[in-house]
Amino acid sequence: MRLWKSWIVTQKDLSTMSKNKYVFYSLIGLPILLGALYPVTFIFALNSQIASLTHAQLLAAANQSTDIASIFLVIIPAFLPSYIASYSFVGEKIEKSLEPLLATPTTDGELLLGKCLAAFLPCMGATYVGAAISASILDAWSYTRIGVFLIPNLYWILTVIIIAPLACVLSVEANVIVSSKVNDIRAAQQLGGLVSLPLIILILVAVSSAQLSLLLAILVSIILAVADVTLFYLSKETFQREEILTKWK
Amino acid sequence: MIDAENLTRKFGSLTAVENVSLHVNEGEVFGFLGPNGAGKTTTIRMLCCLIGKTSGEARIGNFSVDNEQDCLEIRKIVGLLPENVGLYENLSAYKNLDFYGKLYEVPAQKRQENIERLLRLLGIWERREDVVGTFSKGTKQKIAIARALIHEPKVLFLDEPTANLDPEAAKTVRDFVLELKKEKRTIFLNTHNLDEAERLCDRIAILKTKLVAVDSPKNLEHSLYNRRTIIHLEAVSDAMVAAVKELGMVKNLRVTDSKLILDIDNPEKDNPEVIRTIVKAGGNIQYVTEMRSTLEDVYLKLIREASAQ
Repeated sequence: MRLWKSWIVTQKDLSTMSKNKYVFYSLIGLPILLGALYPVTFIFALNSQIASLTHAQLLAAANQSTDIASIFLVIIPAFLPSYIASYSFVGEKIEKSLEPLLATPTTDGELLLGKCLAAFLPCMGATYVGAAISASILDAWSYTRIGVFLIPNLYWILTVIIIAPLACVLSVEANVIVSSKVNDIRAAQQLGGLVSLPLIILILVAVSSAQLSLLLAILVSIILAVADVTLFYLSKETFQREEILTKWK
Repeated sequence: MIDAENLTRKFGSLTAVENVSLHVNEGEVFGFLGPNGAGKTTTIRMLCCLIGKTSGEARIGNFSVDNEQDCLEIRKIVGLLPENVGLYENLSAYKNLDFYGKLYEVPAQKRQENIERLLRLLGIWERREDVVGTFSKGTKQKIAIARALIHEPKVLFLDEPTANLDPEAAKTVRDFVLELKKEKRTIFLNTHNLDEAERLCDRIAILKTKLVAVDSPKNLEHSLYNRRTIIHLEAVSDAMVAAVKELGMVKNLRVTDSKLILDIDNPEKDNPEVIRTIVKAGGNIQYVTEMRSTLEDVYLKLIREASAQ
């Protein structure tokens, strides 16, 4: 597999997507919403009862808030691919640009990887923007109120660095399979959203469990990685020249 | 350059292409005619390694469509203009071509040169930074042709290159194909346009799932009916008709208004003798023309025969 070939496809897709205002808005909107919404709500709620809490209680509540904030962050990479991948794959179908693309000396795997990366990178970028917003708000509050930086902690790092990318890959691959079955962007987004929903619930349960112990967190990461590899082979089966030209309608 | 032997493709119980054998020489413009659903696009897709074959063999140059590694080599030497142009509508003409140039592994400097040369040749260099979505259908088709040529392929597959184009745009595309012909590229032209096929192609194949006929347009036209010579006269006399009838080479003679319509097997050889006889018999010849069956006549007859089988 020649990664530079995949990167050419990724760059083209990113360039195409950057010109689509709806994709742009969702990439900006979701991280701002999810990154800021929970910390701001938490701070308002806690500020109203701050006088009645001891320092230890306040610290415990603040720590719990970082765990919940990291759970919110996983929603971004699990949900956004249903939006982005639909443009990457169904967009090609609509523009009927897959045939000339498949006629180039590029392997199916290189094309698939390039297109998956084009969905993965902006989603992870949005996730990290959300994480930065969330961390800034919580840290700014915790440092001024209780004199400590809450983030990063071990579970936050684990969630953002390992679990979120794995969840994103899973969602991208699921959406590749969805995209092969539909032929308009709205249907892809709706079906992709529908597929993402149980995925999001599963991932949220996994992330919540991971926060119980480090061992559980590692186990969740391994399960996600195995699911990623399995779904990659399934999506690779769907993304084959023959299949695309004769069955992708 | 292109060889196919008993190439067959089935989709479930449907046979799209059956036992197609053909050979296209290097530098030849080869027309592929057939009704909708005849298997033309499927054949092109098999030859370009886009879909597999059910049976038979095919080679482009020295590479077999059977082998995965050979298929990558085939894609390097082949340019494809598919039926749908499939350009990226919100990228500029230049970026569309640059993207494909990179995928075809054309070095940066050569890529820039080729893009400029092709866009200038097709008259769209000044609009290179405009997004493709703003172009007319004809201009998009030109960009798609430039895309198929960005890596200077030895073999070019053109699937309906002038379909849905206005006459002016269609002429530009046809003229461009003639330019490519001068460059000695092998061109496989899939078309419904019989006039276009006749003007551009060295040889033509007619397909209706199976290969119905392969020959030059001229030979195909001659194969259907006897060659006829029409002699336009000031007036036709009985003596003149009797004199011509006596000539052994004239197989059949009809008189319509002031014209003699003659069936002659070898008009190049026999027409001078016929004309001398008419003049000798007092005929005033205004002009002599040839009546031949058109490619359309041949095509329709062959397709009807193939359908009846």
